[in-house]
Amino acid sequence: MAADSAQLLGLVEEFVSGQADSSAADIATGVKTGQFSILQLVEALGLSLTSSQTQTRGRGVQLLSQVLQECYSGLSESEVKVLVTFYENRLKDHYAMTPHVLHGLTALAKCTVLPPGSAVSILKALFQDVHVQSLMLTERSCVYNILISLMNSREKELKGLGPDFVFGFVQAVDGERDPRNLLLAFQIARNIIYRGYDLNLFTEELFEVTSCYFPIDFTPPPNDPHGITQEDLILALRAVLTGTPRFAEFLVPLLIEKLDSDVQNAKVDSLLTLAACAPVYGHKELAEFLPGLWSSIRREVFQTASERVESAGLSALSAITSCLSRTVLTSDSGDALQTFLELVLKDCQHHLCEPDLKLVWPSAKLLQAASGASYRASLIVTAVVLPALFEQYNSRTQCTHRRTLLEVLQGFIQPTVSSQPAEREENVLLPFQKSLCSVVFSALAESNASLQVTATKVLATLGQQSGLLLETDVEIAVDHLTRLVVEEDDAQVSLAVMDCAGSLARLHPAVFTSRMVPRLKDEIFTEPMAEGDTSTLPQSRSKAAARERSVKALAFISSQLSLVQESAPVLLQVLAAAHKGSSSFSTEEVISVCRSLQRIAEHAQHTVEIGDFFHNVVIPRLLGLSLQAALHSQRCSGHTSPLTEEAVLSAIVPVISTACAALQSVPATQMAAQAVSLFLDGDVSFLPENAYPSQIQLLKSQSDCWSQSQLVCLLMASVCSLSQQVEIPDIDRLLVQLEELIFTCTHPFSYTSAAKCFAGLINKRAAGQALDAVLEKTLKRISATLDCESSAQRVQAFTLLIWVMKALLLRYHPLSVNLTDKLFCLLSDNQLGSQAADSFSLLMSDSPDVLNRSCHANVRIMYRQRFFTENSVKLVQGFNSAEQEKRSVYLKALSHIVNNLPRQVQLSELPALLPLLLEALSCPDEAVQLSTLSCLQPLLMEPPPALTTQLEALFTRLLALTTSPAMKVRITALRCIHALSRLPTHMVLPFRARVLRALAKPLDDKKRLVRKEAVAARSEWFLLGSPGGR
Amino acid sequence: MKDTLQLVHRLSAHPDSRCWYVAWSPTGALLASCGGDRAIRIWAKEGDTWQCKCVLSDGHQRTVRKISWSPCGNYLASASFDATTCIWKKKEDDFQCLTVLEGHENEVKCVAWAPSGNLLATCSRDKSVWIWEVDEEDEYECVSVVNSHTQDVKHVVWHPTQELLASASYDNKVCIYKEEDDDWECRATLEGHTSTVWSLSFDPEGQRLASCSDDRTVKIWKECGTGDESVDGSWKCVCTLSGFHSRTIYDVAWCRLTGALATACGDDGIHVFKEEAASDPEQPVFYVSAHVPKAHSQDVNCVAWNPKEAGVLATCSDNGEIAIWNYQSDA
Amino acid sequence: MSAGTRLENANPFIFQRSGERLLTASEEDENVIDPIDDREIFDIIRSINDPEHPLSLEELNVVEQMRVKVNDQESTVSVEFTPTIPHCSMATLIGLSIKVKLLRSLPDRFKIDVHITPGTHASEDAVNKQLADKERVAAALENAHLLEVVNQCLSTRPA
Repeated sequence: MAADSAQLLGLVEEFVSGQADSSAADIATGVKTGQFSILQLVEALGLSLTSSQTQTRGRGVQLLSQVLQECYSGLSESEVKVLVTFYENRLKDHYAMTPHVLHGLTALAKCTVLPPGSAVSILKALFQDVHVQSLMLTERSCVYNILISLMNSREKELKGLGPDFVFGFVQAVDGERDPRNLLLAFQIARNIIYRGYDLNLFTEELFEVTSCYFPIDFTPPPNDPHGITQEDLILALRAVLTGTPRFAEFLVPLLIEKLDSDVQNAKVDSLLTLAACAPVYGHKELAEFLPGLWSSIRREVFQTASERVESAGLSALSAITSCLSRTVLTSDSGDALQTFLELVLKDCQHHLCEPDLKLVWPSAKLLQAASGASYRASLIVTAVVLPALFEQYNSRTQCTHRRTLLEVLQGFIQPTVSSQPAEREENVLLPFQKSLCSVVFSALAESNASLQVTATKVLATLGQQSGLLLETDVEIAVDHLTRLVVEEDDAQVSLAVMDCAGSLARLHPAVFTSRMVPRLKDEIFTEPMAEGDTSTLPQSRSKAAARERSVKALAFISSQLSLVQESAPVLLQVLAAAHKGSSSFSTEEVISVCRSLQRIAEHAQHTVEIGDFFHNVVIPRLLGLSLQAALHSQRCSGHTSPLTEEAVLSAIVPVISTACAALQSVPATQMAAQAVSLFLDGDVSFLPENAYPSQIQLLKSQSDCWSQSQLVCLLMASVCSLSQQVEIPDIDRLLVQLEELIFTCTHPFSYTSAAKCFAGLINKRAAGQALDAVLEKTLKRISATLDCESSAQRVQAFTLLIWVMKALLLRYHPLSVNLTDKLFCLLSDNQLGSQAADSFSLLMSDSPDVLNRSCHANVRIMYRQRFFTENSVKLVQGFNSAEQEKRSVYLKALSHIVNNLPRQVQLSELPALLPLLLEALSCPDEAVQLSTLSCLQPLLMEPPPALTTQLEALFTRLLALTTSPAMKVRITALRCIHALSRLPTHMVLPFRARVLRALAKPLDDKKRLVRKEAVAARSEWFLLGSPGGR
Repeated sequence: MKDTLQLVHRLSAHPDSRCWYVAWSPTGALLASCGGDRAIRIWAKEGDTWQCKCVLSDGHQRTVRKISWSPCGNYLASASFDATTCIWKKKEDDFQCLTVLEGHENEVKCVAWAPSGNLLATCSRDKSVWIWEVDEEDEYECVSVVNSHTQDVKHVVWHPTQELLASASYDNKVCIYKEEDDDWECRATLEGHTSTVWSLSFDPEGQRLASCSDDRTVKIWKECGTGDESVDGSWKCVCTLSGFHSRTIYDVAWCRLTGALATACGDDGIHVFKEEAASDPEQPVFYVSAHVPKAHSQDVNCVAWNPKEAGVLATCSDNGEIAIWNYQSDA
Repeated sequence: MSAGTRLENANPFIFQRSGERLLTASEEDENVIDPIDDREIFDIIRSINDPEHPLSLEELNVVEQMRVKVNDQESTVSVEFTPTIPHCSMATLIGLSIKVKLLRSLPDRFKIDVHITPGTHASEDAVNKQLADKERVAAALENAHLLEVVNQCLSTRPA
């Protein structure tokens, strides 16, 4: 003990005399380990603390405070009590000691064992003896931190101080300038307000001492280590100012005053603060200011060129309206909401009657903001506005005016979250239902495109509100839509009509079934040009266009089972007719029908019954027709069914695969069984018609006639999109026959489809011996064929190799490594080298019909990254060691891989890749250039640091490519240069003169699309670093 | 038209900006150019090519619009949009800024050294013309500020032999100034152009004045003497060359050696006119002696005859280039 | 803008924007030369911002396609613009913005003429003369404040 105390004395002596500051840490460690107690330290300091030398006393207190900061959590209540008293007394000491005293008190304030009464006494001492604003920054922070700590732990006690607490705080903070301290001060003020401290006497003072900072105008210094933004301060202050209705009488006039400022930020801040306080206030607080507030808000929204100000103004109006909507109606106060809205309507309404003048829009937006604030408000506003709009619509005949009026109307008919009617309240629009329909239908009957488009949007909005449209209204609407589908050839209108129809059909399928579908069916089956028809070419073209639109529309509306059951058969009928040749449908039309069926199939994802319908009706029909087409084409050479064409079959594939992907397990299993038995054994029992020969062997290739073997794509569609759990019967036999087909067939579409099917199957097959056996056998055959340079089946082997490789890559199968090596070797192959490079694109990108997630393929996450990480080094090595002429092959492969990596990976790999990408830009092969540019362009949006060292090389290459012979390369290079203008100014400014000079040439490019990009890029570069620009 | 105007040399003088003006030194050995890049360049012929001997780039904060050599060839004055005129003194192969003349309220459009070497004239968008005196100690003092124009003054030029100054302005007029009682004042106003007058040039004898304008014409003016020296004569337009230029004519230069009249035009072309030998001085007739329609790829801003080598012509353009030409005429 | 100063023309007529130019097959054909036509020039200037309103020159009908004439062969461009009111004090600024945009967007060979639609402005001659004087234009663009305002008109507004 004695040794300890001697040591303690020694350390104290060291510190106090200024010899060593480290003694403080040593002492602190000692206290923490229990070697000394804090009171022993006080005793040891005895002499120093009573010394007549201020500096000595100061060092003493400093030592004690430093130790306390380390040890405060281990103190006992009695120790704390002593220390608190000591420190409070020290506050009266020489001012040079105050900082140390405060540091000590900060530590003590955090003690959980602070005795009752200490909190109050500390604060009293502080408020009395310390003039906060004359202290340095750190010391002022101490004071605020003390307040915060005590408010957190001793709230009840502090509240006992009553109004003196607030007063003390106000005095302490008055004149504070430092942003960090302000954030602390605002936190204290917030606590005062939100935690119910006694504000009564000093409300105005508290308001004044905080509101003097409003609106915040703070620019953080560059490289600010504290990272305080202006926004932080704004939000913190706003929370204070809007915290209590007691501030209303001071805050609202302040906001009105600041709203008048020329500084945009001040306006926005005022409006947003207004929007934030309205929810806290009631009518009482706002009443006297309402006219002034409205006048200011209106002025801002009417006059501003800034979207920020406009949007803040609208929020404020909405918040005020919402606040007033909450008032309870009393007989003497009148209806505050009504009065206010009358004011708003008075100023805005008449502008709605001038739809070609600028103010129509700000007025409409203000009224919409008010209307959307509450149900009550929407009742009041719509009662006045809607009749006025209807009247305007009817009296003005100019299409542009009517369109504006409809667009304005649109904003009033969509209820917001706040203005939705409650359970027993009726829809606000119900009284106007007739006029609404009348206006909409009248607009739909016009011939002006933009008017019609707007009308469809309004109709869709009306249709989505239950109970608003009567049955008869829906019927009239559907008739209009049908007419427009058939007759209207403007692309924009057509699309808008179809969207509207799709939206309405969801809620009113029966009307569509009875009225639109039959009419569209008629349209589709009307011949465009019959024998002896004297209609001209443009007329028949427009008839064909009408058919096309009808086909498309059927897809848009078929989201419900009842509609699907009507529309799908129509489409199937088209295919049947085309197949038989009984109606003249072109190949493009047939493909279009398939696309519509595909769209309809997509709805199977959320409606099981639709999937079943496809399984039971649509798919068998499609398979049946295709099969008939394939079989009959061998016999008669009169009419060739379009269903034998590759393009058509390729369009049928997604119909089947989309539907299959959505099938539940029972029908899916059935589908698998049916498909396999059809293709393996010629079992046609599930097909609708029965006119088939008995011995069909679809997977046997026939020389010179591919009509049957190409049907393998339909097999692929049927079995490769089913969920992974579905077992494919007879899979081994299937795989064997598929493989055989591939190696014996010379029709590219057939063997490629077979390869895809093979790949799709093995991708999902369960891991194990069976799978490995198949793979080994197949890979052996592939290798053997490829190794034989003179073999005629090299291309087929290669195709199978790629697809199998993809299938295995996706599931991380170990054998994929061997295949990768094989592919790399092929890069230098004379015959297949270029195809090998291109195949990387296939491997890395998403294939539409097989081996993707929507087909339930076995895809492991990050397979692309993994592939890249495992192989990029090899590729780079290959590139480096290849001869000049062969290099482009490696670059092509690399650019394909990189192009398909996720953005984050591209960015992180960029440092390593950049030299290669730059090299690729100089490569004379245009495909490589284009691929590299497309890869680079999005990376330039968020440039990684690696880019900065390479800017010189990048600019040189890109500028050179702006004169490439290929148009697409020029365009993409220009886009990259445009993107580079968004890099930090200091990085790219040195290149500005050079870029401007170089971009002068593409301004005179012979292609307009290139010139357009050049103009856009050059304009941005002009603005760079220029006043008023970026 | 057996006369020819051949391109001898093309220089890219002011990269990425306009070349506004070129001026030959009195010996004809040096060519000064100035432009939108705020620099003045001095060019000299070395062998077959022209080399830039020095670049004066720190003299002005904005475009340098025109330059003028002193008659002795030791000084160069530059007029700039930064509202100052800089006087440079030649020191071997380099020039140093001697002094900066301030006073104009905004862009200085022209500076011209009088043949006597003691006077300097400047003009500006502030509508005024300033006359400066320079003494042996290289001290410059403004002796007169004349405000006869109602708009931007574009150009000032001194008479070859008399102390007489002419100015051209955006107000479509030309003013003639003489000194009277130590003060310069406008003695005559020449009206006739229907748009901005861009430049002026006296003929070799100083009897006639050529002006060129945005109205696409060149006018020749002659003072009709009253016989009495103390009474000013009035100036009359004795010839108008119109129909030759399809856009604004920015500069006109009358060759001291050959009497040929060259123009620089916004249609990218240069014309050289000659007076018909037998034409009446009161009604001179000019014909097109040579014409290069696409002398530059953009507007030609200035045209200047070499004072010592007959037929050598310098031009400069918005594309930053200078071109040197050789004009040969039988007459 | 404070409550004291009012916009000169607080409630101008607004016009609807015409859509995007539709792509044609020949524009995508590498071997066909696309001449510069009126529509192309119009597309360059139509979205220039008005200095006072949050609207483009097209929306205020200050520029219209039919008042744009270009001759690619002769390298000339002429644009007539119509100020919203006859005493519009922003006319010179608007004209200057159009001129600068074209100077930055067209090949050097073009001679650019920007002037006010005849009969639509009280000081059209004075404004036209200024816009035609390239020395005045060059000097004006060296003025940082004026350049700032012009650049603001030429910046694309955030969506």
